[in-house]
Amino acid sequence: MPYLPTSQAYLEQSAQLLQAYPDTTRIVTKYNFPTNRRGNLKRAYKSQVRKDAAKPTDAPSTTPAPPSAATATLTLKTFNPTTGICLHYRTNKAQEVGRLITSLGKLAAGADVAGLGLSAAVPAAGADVEMTDAPAPVEEVAPVAGKAQGQVQGQGQGQSAKGKKKGGKGKR
Amino acid sequence: MAPHLGQDEFFKSLGELLSKTSQQHQGSVYLTQKPLIDVPGATTTNSQPSILIRATDGNTNTPNLKKEGKDKKSQKVKLSTIVNPDEIEAFYVRYAEVCKAGMTGLKKRDRRGRKAKTKGGAAKVTKA
Repeated sequence: MPYLPTSQAYLEQSAQLLQAYPDTTRIVTKYNFPTNRRGNLKRAYKSQVRKDAAKPTDAPSTTPAPPSAATATLTLKTFNPTTGICLHYRTNKAQEVGRLITSLGKLAAGADVAGLGLSAAVPAAGADVEMTDAPAPVEEVAPVAGKAQGQVQGQGQGQSAKGKKKGGKGKR
Repeated sequence: MAPHLGQDEFFKSLGELLSKTSQQHQGSVYLTQKPLIDVPGATTTNSQPSILIRATDGNTNTPNLKKEGKDKKSQKVKLSTIVNPDEIEAFYVRYAEVCKAGMTGLKKRDRRGRKAKTKGGAAKVTKA
């Protein structure tokens, strides 16, 4: 059964599954390191060699590879045995652990999709769209337009897109 | 089966299990949560069942015929606790903390790499 691409999709679908079958659905969280079976090690070693060959200047040979090679993974699985539905989510990022476990707690407490607090992202995005439509920023653009070219160069990556947008509007 | 642990005991053992696994850089920890239905000893308030939390190290107790006699396989670690419906929130706050502290084998947020990248990008922009 599927590995879902985002934690949000996983949690939403899990909430629906738990709502449909609250008595039989269970959630398993697996924290594991890659096994040191021979084939597995070989494959990891080969891929590491290929990586090193690709960019020899980047990785100094003095730093040992093992600590980075043995990155653990966290796999979340929601399984319903009666229907055979099984949802997966896999990550290796430490920063996600706290949020995921807290969400699992909400699922355990019987929260529905809305109760997870994940859908808050959708209205927020909607608000952003509305703000771009609002007249206030347009007025702000007009005096800046002349300098827009210079600003694009000075600004970082994240803001450059915004600067470009402004420039386009000014020309019109 | 071992009796269910109290929450303090459970968290202590779980923390040990997680940090041991992280230090060894091998092995697994399985955490399961499921509702307890129709089990004596579980309190059910307003149709909200208690939650059973289990933690194991995934070690099978079946003897390995090849290795028999060489090294005795350690016993499977099994922990379990029952969370009442009114304690779920408080339990999961601690649960998340223990997991965050124990799962040190995961990838940390790479701040240094990102900084270097943005620096490089900025330099390119000023050059152009």
